[in-house]
Amino acid sequence: MANATQSPLERNYARLGILLIGPTVLVFCAVIVYPLVSAIYLSLFSIYTPTLEGEWVGLSNYRELLAKGEFWSSLWTNIIWTVGTLTLQIVFGVGMALVLHQNLIFRSLARSLILFPYFVSTVVAVLVWRWLFNDLYGILNHFVMLSGASDMPVDWLGSMPNALLSVILVGAWKYFPFVVIATLARLQTIPDHLYEAAKIDGAGPIARFFDVTLPQLRDVLVVIIMLRAIWDFKEFDLIFLLTGGGPVTSTQTLPLLVYKEAFALNQMGMASAYAVVMMAIMLVFMILYIRRTREEEDR
Amino acid sequence: MRIIRRVLFNLFAWALVLAVAFPLFWMVVTSLKPGFELFRRPPTMLPETVTFEHYWRLLTETPFLRYFANSVILATTTTLVVVTIGTLGAYSLVRFRYRGRESLAFLVLFTYLLPSVVLIIPLYLLMVKLGLANTIFSLVIAYTTFALPYALWLLRSFMAGVPEDLESAALVDGASRMEAFWDVILPQLLPGIISTALFTFILAWNEYLYALVLVNSDSARPLTTGVMTMLISAFNIEWSLLMAASVMMSLPLIVVFAFLQSYLTRGFGAGAVKG
Repeated sequence: MANATQSPLERNYARLGILLIGPTVLVFCAVIVYPLVSAIYLSLFSIYTPTLEGEWVGLSNYRELLAKGEFWSSLWTNIIWTVGTLTLQIVFGVGMALVLHQNLIFRSLARSLILFPYFVSTVVAVLVWRWLFNDLYGILNHFVMLSGASDMPVDWLGSMPNALLSVILVGAWKYFPFVVIATLARLQTIPDHLYEAAKIDGAGPIARFFDVTLPQLRDVLVVIIMLRAIWDFKEFDLIFLLTGGGPVTSTQTLPLLVYKEAFALNQMGMASAYAVVMMAIMLVFMILYIRRTREEEDR
Repeated sequence: MRIIRRVLFNLFAWALVLAVAFPLFWMVVTSLKPGFELFRRPPTMLPETVTFEHYWRLLTETPFLRYFANSVILATTTTLVVVTIGTLGAYSLVRFRYRGRESLAFLVLFTYLLPSVVLIIPLYLLMVKLGLANTIFSLVIAYTTFALPYALWLLRSFMAGVPEDLESAALVDGASRMEAFWDVILPQLLPGIISTALFTFILAWNEYLYALVLVNSDSARPLTTGVMTMLISAFNIEWSLLMAASVMMSLPLIVVFAFLQSYLTRGFGAGAVKG
């Protein structure tokens, strides 16, 4: 009986719920789902960008790209960039979080300064770093020559492997604050008695880090690594603006290849195929992350 | 002994922090140096003569102000649209039960991680077909593709933090669901909404790729692509001018950092990473 009186109200609520999510669903369909399906569809055509005239070519874009050296070399660069910058982000990020977790004078100011690179526009970050990297008047070359590490100014962005290393370094500088903040939040929740117990057992600071801190951080680090791996893998702005993929194509990652194919070489169909393959690669990480998030929510 | 160790640790920690912040310090210093001082060897760490001539030139001789205004309009509109739709959506996702709700939440998370380059070609074609290319409006549409999933994801976890009892109590008192939403949930959610709005604004303010592809005229160009055009079109790169532009471009961020930083940290806790 109670059920029968409740159910019209619940049905009303369900209707209201759908009404409230309506705008979201509408926008999602129009600007995300439709373009996504469309991208897959476009990848089956050969389209010349200026005229936008297309011709059905089926799967031949995919066949062509898998046979092309440029795809594989870009994928390889993409992996090196992701692994390189992510490793630096994690190492510096956790290190800095441990430092900021201690009693430090003006700690909140220090935290703001650390946080700033993460929020500053990539355009600003790149302009500043290109000025630092400047071969004649850049301050970095001044420091290098002052320290005697080299008599000649270093060509930071114009030659290999410097260019890739510079890009990885700037990426680490820009994104490591994310790791700092996320780790710091977790550090503050580790109960003190764990450290005290370890101290009584005679563990030094290094042993305490490996036996107490690191296991406690494990879960949050897994999440951070997955998220940052996804975001670093798809990074476009930073690399495009720093080197444009150069010298030649040595810092060209997949997102840059998609852009070049679509808007410089005017092959939109081919570019879509690159984008779809790139998404397929990322899908592995995305599914892992989504599955993990769901498990956490169910807990 | 203890004090010495503390002093040493503080020195070490602050050296690290200052090294990280150095590029930003250098940006400000460069923007304040007169042209002749810029190319001095060795470089001066602090400007010997402080000048605002680059800022003045930026505002009077370049289209910087136009770009700035475009960015303000663009980021504000995007934020308003996204936060409004997102708040209603998050309320629905967290507090209502209906079929397909779980899959929707999954879709939100999926799009939150989706790379822009996959959507950019179809969106470009769509804008050309609708005749919207080269307008700020086209960018607002494009920005919702990443800003809405982002805002929804943040708001969803803020909404989950609002105690359900409050809403139930209002319902028992005879309020309708929407009245309870206005009177009880919104005030509770406000810090989360502010935090989400800040994140969305910063995201839209900093966006580059869509602006590069969809807009190709000064009248609609936002700051990110605008400033890069200034770099490319200049005969010889004027670093002081560009650094002044960078400082100006970071102004909204500096305001947020000075007055609203707690909202940023809160957003970090809610959205990106959970315990």
